[in-house]
Amino acid sequence: MKDTWPDIIFILITTAVLVLVSNIVGYGGSVQRDLVGALLLAVIAAAGIFLAKLPVLNKLPIVFWVSALAVVLSIPGVPGADWIVARTKDINFLATTTPILAYAGLALGKEIEGFKKLSWRIVPICLAVSAGSFICATLMAEIMLHLEGIF
Amino acid sequence: MDLVKNWKIHLFALLLVIVAERIGIQKFGLVVFLPLFYALALGGVISVPKFKILSVANMERAGQFMPIAMLVLMVKIGLGIGPNLHMLLNSGLALIMQEFGHFFGTLLFGLPVALLLKMKREAIGACYSIDREPNVAIIAEKFGIFSPEGRGVMGMYICGTLFGALWISVLAGIIAKLGIFHPYALAMGAGIGSASMMAAATGSIVASFPAEAEKIQAYAGAANLMTSVIGVYFALFISLPVTIKVYEFITGNKSVK
Repeated sequence: MKDTWPDIIFILITTAVLVLVSNIVGYGGSVQRDLVGALLLAVIAAAGIFLAKLPVLNKLPIVFWVSALAVVLSIPGVPGADWIVARTKDINFLATTTPILAYAGLALGKEIEGFKKLSWRIVPICLAVSAGSFICATLMAEIMLHLEGIF
Repeated sequence: MDLVKNWKIHLFALLLVIVAERIGIQKFGLVVFLPLFYALALGGVISVPKFKILSVANMERAGQFMPIAMLVLMVKIGLGIGPNLHMLLNSGLALIMQEFGHFFGTLLFGLPVALLLKMKREAIGACYSIDREPNVAIIAEKFGIFSPEGRGVMGMYICGTLFGALWISVLAGIIAKLGIFHPYALAMGAGIGSASMMAAATGSIVASFPAEAEKIQAYAGAANLMTSVIGVYFALFISLPVTIKVYEFITGNKSVK
């Protein structure tokens, strides 16, 4: 990744602020309650990116290290996990998605030229492909969860 | 400083977040609309080049911003997995097996439609995977981006970027409301391997089963993590060769390369 650290930190903090706004407007949050939680999400993301840039570890994608770090830091018994989970649990899951999709939306304009050049046929195929992935995995999960006796 | 240079996109992002969350989750019959969808759609309207509200540089900055901002969501998803690790390990086999659904579902549903619409080798690129960034890279390396396969994968990539999250959130909402599947199974299905599509699908499932929110997010997060990590290797070594074989078997067209 060509991004520099100041830029990464700028992006993460901006995102954390927007997540906080999202949580306050949409899910009854407050600055006092959620500020630490929102910033914690950014700090853990930064730590994960740092891990992903280390030699040897950089063989695997950044998404993996960021996710793995977050998973480990939330396992009961890991030092600090209880505090981290308590602080971040009031940040609604959907509140972390709205800011990201807002930026995704603002970047969509540059795809429009490319989209115009495509054949209309790609649209139904696209819908079928993503539906297939969701439906087939759900079906497999349903069967397996039954066999495992989860429900 | 970026806040000064690209102030427009950050201001718009702030406004979009406030407007989207104000509208909130709306349900119309079987269909669920989430704030993330309004943010995406309204942002898309603002960025339409004809309106000249945003420059190309602004849009490129927003596009560069996204993958790093996405990591904040990945942290939130990850933090939901740890406390439920015990439950997830108990259904470990289901988590592994459902990945086959994710990986072959694209081929199973996509290829018939592509062949029906008389797509040629574009169908291979379009249907071998969910066609996010790493999958585009695989096809670009093997066939080149200007080959028929490359056109297929790029078409799917653009189309998925435009409609993927919206489509999957509507679809997941409808299928959840039908009541055929258990919420945990739906949650695993949501782990498609694209963070925005996973979030969109999970949001719709949670809207249908609010009491199970925490467990749904844990299952979806775990499945999504597996799909994204194994996905690249699976796509490269299994999905792509299988798709090529199936395509050539059905159409009788052997590869010229």
